[in-house]
Amino acid sequence: MKKIGFSILLVSIMMSGCQTSKPTLKVFSWGAYIDDNVISSFEEENDCIVIYDMFESNEAMYTKLLSQESYDVLVPSDYMVQRLIQEDLLRPLDHSLISNEAGLMSGLLKKEFDPNNTYSLPYFWGNVGLMYNTKNVSEDDITSEGWNILKDTEYKGKIYFYDSERDAFMVALKALGYSTNTTSTFQLDKAFEWLKVLDNTMAPVYAADDIIDNMIQGNKDIAMVYSGDAAYIISQNPDMAYYVPEQGTNLWIDSMVISNKAKEITLANKWINYMLDPEIARLNSEYVGYSSPVQTVFTELSQTSFAGNNAYTPRIDYVLDEVFKYDETVKRIIAEQWLKIKAQ
Amino acid sequence: MKVFANLAKPYMVWMTLFIVIPMLLIVLFAFTTHGNSVLAFKFTLANFGKFFDPVFLKVMLKSMEVAIITTLLCILIGYPIAYVIANVKEQWQTLLMLLITIPMWINMLVRTYAWISILSDSGLINSFLAYLHMGPIKMMYTDFAVILGMVYNFLPFMILSIYTALAKMDKAVINASYDLGANGTQTFLRIIFPLSLPGVISGITLVFLPAVSTFIIPKFLGGGQYMLIGNLIENQFITVGEWNFGSAISLIMAMIIMGSMYLTRRMDKDIVEQAQSAHGGAKW
Amino acid sequence: MVGSKNRFLFGAILIGTVLFFFYAPIMSLMIFSFNNSRSLTAWAGFSTQWYTALFNNREMMNAINTTVLVAVMSTFISTAVGTLTAIGISKSRKIIREIVINVNSFPILNPEIVTAIGLMLLYSSLSIEKGLLTMLLAHIIFSTPYVILSVLPKLRSLDPDIAEAAMDLGATPMQALRKVIVPLILPGVISGALIAFTMSFDDFVISYFVSGNGVKNISIMVYTMSKRINPSINALSTILVVIITLVLLVINLLPLLKKKEVRGVE
Repeated sequence: MKKIGFSILLVSIMMSGCQTSKPTLKVFSWGAYIDDNVISSFEEENDCIVIYDMFESNEAMYTKLLSQESYDVLVPSDYMVQRLIQEDLLRPLDHSLISNEAGLMSGLLKKEFDPNNTYSLPYFWGNVGLMYNTKNVSEDDITSEGWNILKDTEYKGKIYFYDSERDAFMVALKALGYSTNTTSTFQLDKAFEWLKVLDNTMAPVYAADDIIDNMIQGNKDIAMVYSGDAAYIISQNPDMAYYVPEQGTNLWIDSMVISNKAKEITLANKWINYMLDPEIARLNSEYVGYSSPVQTVFTELSQTSFAGNNAYTPRIDYVLDEVFKYDETVKRIIAEQWLKIKAQ
Repeated sequence: MKVFANLAKPYMVWMTLFIVIPMLLIVLFAFTTHGNSVLAFKFTLANFGKFFDPVFLKVMLKSMEVAIITTLLCILIGYPIAYVIANVKEQWQTLLMLLITIPMWINMLVRTYAWISILSDSGLINSFLAYLHMGPIKMMYTDFAVILGMVYNFLPFMILSIYTALAKMDKAVINASYDLGANGTQTFLRIIFPLSLPGVISGITLVFLPAVSTFIIPKFLGGGQYMLIGNLIENQFITVGEWNFGSAISLIMAMIIMGSMYLTRRMDKDIVEQAQSAHGGAKW
Repeated sequence: MVGSKNRFLFGAILIGTVLFFFYAPIMSLMIFSFNNSRSLTAWAGFSTQWYTALFNNREMMNAINTTVLVAVMSTFISTAVGTLTAIGISKSRKIIREIVINVNSFPILNPEIVTAIGLMLLYSSLSIEKGLLTMLLAHIIFSTPYVILSVLPKLRSLDPDIAEAAMDLGATPMQALRKVIVPLILPGVISGALIAFTMSFDDFVISYFVSGNGVKNISIMVYTMSKRINPSINALSTILVVIITLVLLVINLLPLLKKKEVRGVE
C-alpha cells in the first residue's frame, strides 16, 4: 500500500518536473506589463512554453540575477541596461531576426546607454510626472510649483510618492535645478535634505503599483507616477489629470535585452521581434496604458484609445528632460540615503 | 538499542548541512564585506557599525515597540476570551475554540490583504461612515492599521495558548479554594491566574516572535515608509543586494529575540515554581 | 448567583465581538469575490467572473499546482524522516539527544526571515539554481523539526523496553519498528504530518526568498497580485476558506458525533 503511494508520488514529480520536450523561454519583466493573451499566442506560434516572471524594480531584478537565476529575455530600464552592459551580463541581439525594429520611433533609438542598440530595443517608454485630482488641486498650484507641490503643506497627508530611489532623487534634484545625473556629492546632499523635509512635513505614502488603483479611487490627491500609469488612471477616472513640471523630468525607456546566460537564444530574439510587431505592440499598449515605441501604434493610439490623454504622449525634445545614467558611486549613495529617508 | 539509534544519523548530517551551515553563513556574511560569493571576502565590523546609525536603531526600537504593544493587546483581549470559553459547557468549548482557530489556518497574506479594502480611504468602513454623513477617518498607512493587522493575525495563537492552560487546570484546586472561603476575585488572583501563566508565557512567545520580525503586515498596511526590522532585512536582500549588511541586521535581530526568549523561559521557570508552591499550599 | 446572568451576557458579548472581528474581513473577502465589477468596496451585482478568470489564469493554476505538490511531497518526506529520526534519538545517548533537539529547535525559534535568508545564502554559495527543488528542499528543512517535536513526547511515554521485548520474541528490528513502535506513536506522527502540511501550504516568507525562475506558490502569487485590485485573489481566498473550514469541521466534529452515536446505542 505504501509502496503504491510512493510510486505514484515519484511518477507525479517526474511528470511535473519534466513536463516539457518543448523549449522554454524565460522572460523577466515588470508586473502588469503585457497583455496575457500575447503570451499564449507567442507560445502557440512558436510551439514553446513561456515562463513569465515579474519584478518590482530594476534593483530587485538585478539582485535576482546575482543569485543564480537565469532568464532569457529581461526588460530593464535605461540605466540598468547600461549597468548590465558594463558588467558584461548581456548578449548582443541578433538583428537579423528582429525585422520589426524598422518600425520603431527614431527618437527612442541610439541613446547613450546603448549607442547602437547592440544589446537593447525599446519596449515601452515615457516620463515621470504629477498625477492630480482636478477637483481638489488647483491647476495654478500645480503649474506654478511643479515638483515643489509635493512639499506644499496644503496637501499634507494627501500625496503618494513613488517608492524608487532613482525617481525620488530625480524629483528632488530637478526641483532644486540640478541635473539628475549629477555626481556632485554637494548636490546629492541637498537633494537628500529636500527629501528629508518632504518626509517630515508631508506624511507621504511611499508606494509602487498600489498607487494606480488607489488613485483611480481617488484616495489621495497628488501622486508622482510614470506617464503610463497616469494614462491608465486617467482612462479610468476622468477627474485625474497629468502634469509634467517645467523644471524637467526623467525620460525613461524600458528595453528588451538578452541575458548572456540565456539558453533559448533564437526564441529570445523571436520574442523581441514579436513584441515589436505592430499588432502585438498595439495590444500591449492598449492594455497596459504605456506609450508604445512602435511609430504606427503610437500615432494610432494617440488618436483613438488615448485621444486627449496627455499622459500617453510624453514630450520628447524638452531640454531639461534627461535619461538616467548609471554611476556606481552615486547609486550606492542614493540607495543608502533613500533607505534612511524611508526609515525615518 | 544501537540499531535504532542509527536511524538518527542521516538527519544529523542533514541538519548540519541545512540548519547549521546556513546559520554560519549568515554569521560569515555579517562579518565580511562585499562580493556576494563566499570566496571574495574580507573581515570587517563595518556592517555592524552601519547599523548603529540612529535611523536604523530607531527602526529596531519601533519594531520592538509595535511587537510589545501587539503582545499586550493580545493578552488583554485574549485572556478574558480564553477564560470565558474555558468556563462554558464542554461541547460549546470545542465549537468556540474551533471558530477561534479556523482563521489561523487561513493564509496570513490573505487575511492581511482583506483589511486593505476595509481600512482604505474609500474602503468599507469609510463608505459606511460617508453613508452616515460622517467624515472619512484615515486608517491605512498608520500605526493603527499595522497593529490592528498584527493583533488580527496573532490573537488566535494567544487565545489558544491561554485556553489550553486554563482547560488543563485541576478543577479540584479551584474548588478547594472556594471551600476554604475565598471569593471569586481572590481565587482568580491567587490560584487561577498564576497557574495559567505558563499559557500566557507560551502565548507571548507565539506572538512576540513573529510580530517583531514580520514584514508583510507593515508592507501591506503601513506603506513603503513603515519600516520595521523585517522590512529592512527584506529590502537589503531583495532590492538593494547588500547581503552583508542584511546578514548583520538579521544577526542583531536574532540575538535580541533569543535574548528575550531566554529571559521569558527563565521567568517561566520562576513563575511555574511560584505557581506550584501556591498549588501545594492550597491543597494542604 | 445573581451576578451570573450578567456574567453570561458579558461573556456572550465579548465572544460575539471577537468572532465578528475575526470573521468580518473574511466575509467581506468572500462577498466581493462575487462582485460584478472590479471594486472591493462597491457592490455591483452578482457575478462569477472572477472565478472564471482565476481558473483561466495559467500562472495561478501553476502556482496552485506547485503549492499542492510541494506540500504533499514535503509532508511525506519530512514526516518519514522526522519520525525515524525521533525514534533514533530517543534511543541514543543523552548527549546526542540533547544536541539534536537543540539544533533542531533553531528553525522553530528563529524568525522565518532568518531561516529564509540562511537558505538563500546557502543556495547562492553553492550556486544552486533556484526552482521547484530548492523550494521543496526548503520546505522539508523547516517542517521536519516540527514533526520531530510532535513525535518525541509520544515516544517518551512509550515503555522503553517494548521494542526489545518484540525482538526477544523473534521480530526483526524492522518489524519491531513497523508493527510495534510506529502504531503506538501514530497520533504524534499524524499531528506532525498535519503541522508539516499546513506550514508548507501556507508558507510565504521562506518560499519567497528561496524560489525563483518562475516557480511560485499560492502565497507568492497573492503577494504579487495584491499590488493591484484583483478580485481573483478574493475568489482564490474564498475557495481556500471554504475548503479549510469544511476539513476542520469534519475533523473536529466527527469524533463528537461518533461519541453521541455510541452514547445513543448504550
